[in-house]
Amino acid sequence: MVTEIFQPKKILCVPLDPVHDVGIKLINAELVKHGHTTELLAPDLPIESIIKKAAAGRYDFILVSRTLGYGIAELLARFVDQLDAAGIRERTKIVIGGKAVTPELAAELGFDKGFDEHASIEHITAYIEGREAAAQSASIKKVKKNIPSGHSYTFHHKEIEALLERIVDKTLRWSEGKTTPGIRRAHLREEILHTKENAKHEQLELQYHELCDREIVEGNSEHHFPKGVRIVRNDELNDLEKMLNSHNPHNPVTIQHNAGQPLVFKFLGSGCPVMDIMHGKICERWGIDGFLIINPSWEARYEGLLEGMLTHENDGTITSLENIRLMKRWLDPATLLTVRAHRGLNTPETTLLAGEAGADLTKIDLVYGSLGAGTDPERLTMDGIESIRIAGKYKMAFDIPGNDELSGVPAWKTLAGLLINVMLGKKLGTHAILKPLFCYGPHIVLNGQMKLNFVDYNAAKIHALKEIVDCPIWPGEPIAFMTQTEDRVQSANATSYHASLAASLGVDAITIASTDEAYSRGPISIASRIDSIRAVTDAFRFMGNADIAPTPAMQAFKNQLIEKITETLRAAAEAEHLPDAINKGILGNAEDGAYPGKFGKGTVTSAGIQ
Amino acid sequence: MENSSAFDKIMDGLDIETYLVCSDVQEGKRLALQLGKEMNLGDVDIMFEEFDGYGMRVRLRKYIYKPGNAYRWLK
Repeated sequence: MVTEIFQPKKILCVPLDPVHDVGIKLINAELVKHGHTTELLAPDLPIESIIKKAAAGRYDFILVSRTLGYGIAELLARFVDQLDAAGIRERTKIVIGGKAVTPELAAELGFDKGFDEHASIEHITAYIEGREAAAQSASIKKVKKNIPSGHSYTFHHKEIEALLERIVDKTLRWSEGKTTPGIRRAHLREEILHTKENAKHEQLELQYHELCDREIVEGNSEHHFPKGVRIVRNDELNDLEKMLNSHNPHNPVTIQHNAGQPLVFKFLGSGCPVMDIMHGKICERWGIDGFLIINPSWEARYEGLLEGMLTHENDGTITSLENIRLMKRWLDPATLLTVRAHRGLNTPETTLLAGEAGADLTKIDLVYGSLGAGTDPERLTMDGIESIRIAGKYKMAFDIPGNDELSGVPAWKTLAGLLINVMLGKKLGTHAILKPLFCYGPHIVLNGQMKLNFVDYNAAKIHALKEIVDCPIWPGEPIAFMTQTEDRVQSANATSYHASLAASLGVDAITIASTDEAYSRGPISIASRIDSIRAVTDAFRFMGNADIAPTPAMQAFKNQLIEKITETLRAAAEAEHLPDAINKGILGNAEDGAYPGKFGKGTVTSAGIQ
Repeated sequence: MENSSAFDKIMDGLDIETYLVCSDVQEGKRLALQLGKEMNLGDVDIMFEEFDGYGMRVRLRKYIYKPGNAYRWLK
């Protein structure tokens, strides 16, 4: 800012670097804008020529740009000595800026001031003008995005719409008058959470535990937890609070280069909510828009959920109400949070807890939950329908991950399954979000759809879905699944290429892996999380508003996908209801590598029998 | 062969990439250099560092050989 006491300075800008002079050109331009008189020399002039020039003019400042490297310190020291010898130092301040420059090193070499590569032009200009630099915004104020907004959920493909209506209507009719232990526990949990009367509370807890497996009852009543689980101690919570109250995001980053690029999500599920929160806060600073809480696989197999703030030694964070609330408390209000609910026997209750804790989304896929995640199709259909209702009650959208493709299910069957979920959401008044995979799945490997490139078939999935329905699309889960290795550069590259494709296709959001995603013997590290975020940030900058052009094969793949999705749904519409279609293998069969799950088999009962 | 040091087999340099929890850039850099010493690497270069408010993403490097040294892996 130019002030009343402003006095223009005379400045010599010296790019000592043989090639790179962009930084000093930008500084020079800004100084000129501020009304200073500057002269910008050509890069890499001999020191003697620079000294001659500096001696001829009476400069207030000489700004030198130079990356510090091998043997450069000696060159700079010689430069300062010659300025001294020419008597220039007496009237002129000498400043250096560039990579690897530190204030200490600059002083050691005899410069009056040094700026590293992170110094802003404002800081340098403020130094020249002898004032404090204007305070930079401590944080980027994000606005929470509502992913379903802007989508009408109108089906453009009328035959598919009619088939989905038939399948869903039959399924909803089949579900009437039935219940499961999971549904009953969700209802009890809701009562427990809203009952203040002690006696009633205890009675409800007893009823709840009657519907739970022994391990859950022992955990909740005796704190005898499954192996590796323990309560988060108060001192750990206090230390976390102190840590987060004393640290704030520094120079926060936005991943997107323009507003049209997708939101970027990451998983949280180290096992420990304290570690998850630290990872979450750091990822927020690097620009992440939201997180998916991933629970341990064993949690899904028990009837009933553990209560309390709990940590767990292995992969997956326990989705207790207290754990979700803890994460919600510390994450930025604009950060979106989705809780995985659909993988087991606690789907309705997990959705309820997500809603109670203030989560924004929940993850439910009736088909994948039955075919790839081990739950009995009848049980998960009942529980899933109730969960979608609960999600609607809490105004949460639900995202539908098509991860059954990873078992070997063809993409068209997976996409047909996703669309059934969308119609269920529509009928039950809850917004769904399609999550087709960007993956090199087994069926694709065997059938060669990605033999020539990874672009056409992934793009075909998105174009096919867009042609069928106007619904948000969020490729996952994570993008580039089965293309990543343990090599961090390869993994970051694979993620960034797929993110570029997603941006080019105009999807709403993506889930990205960390660069250690393919490493299966331990949890994700924060450094690996930052790696892939940086890769996507650069990819979005690289793409900007440009597009990736698929080959003509994409159209053929897209048409084939729509045709086969329609065929799949025709067959499913002939089944008695969704669980029947799943059990008959219409949405994925043994030949594909998909088997109906067994957990919770035989637990769907008449609502009158308890 | 069995007695040769794994260090001898490093072709040129050793990089350490991690995230150090710290309160500011100066503390992060100090910790990075201290880490090199605690790992018995002596003085290490901080190739890259970025402080984000909670800590610092760092890439440290220790050169085992300078150009023209006698490369023990060549024996």
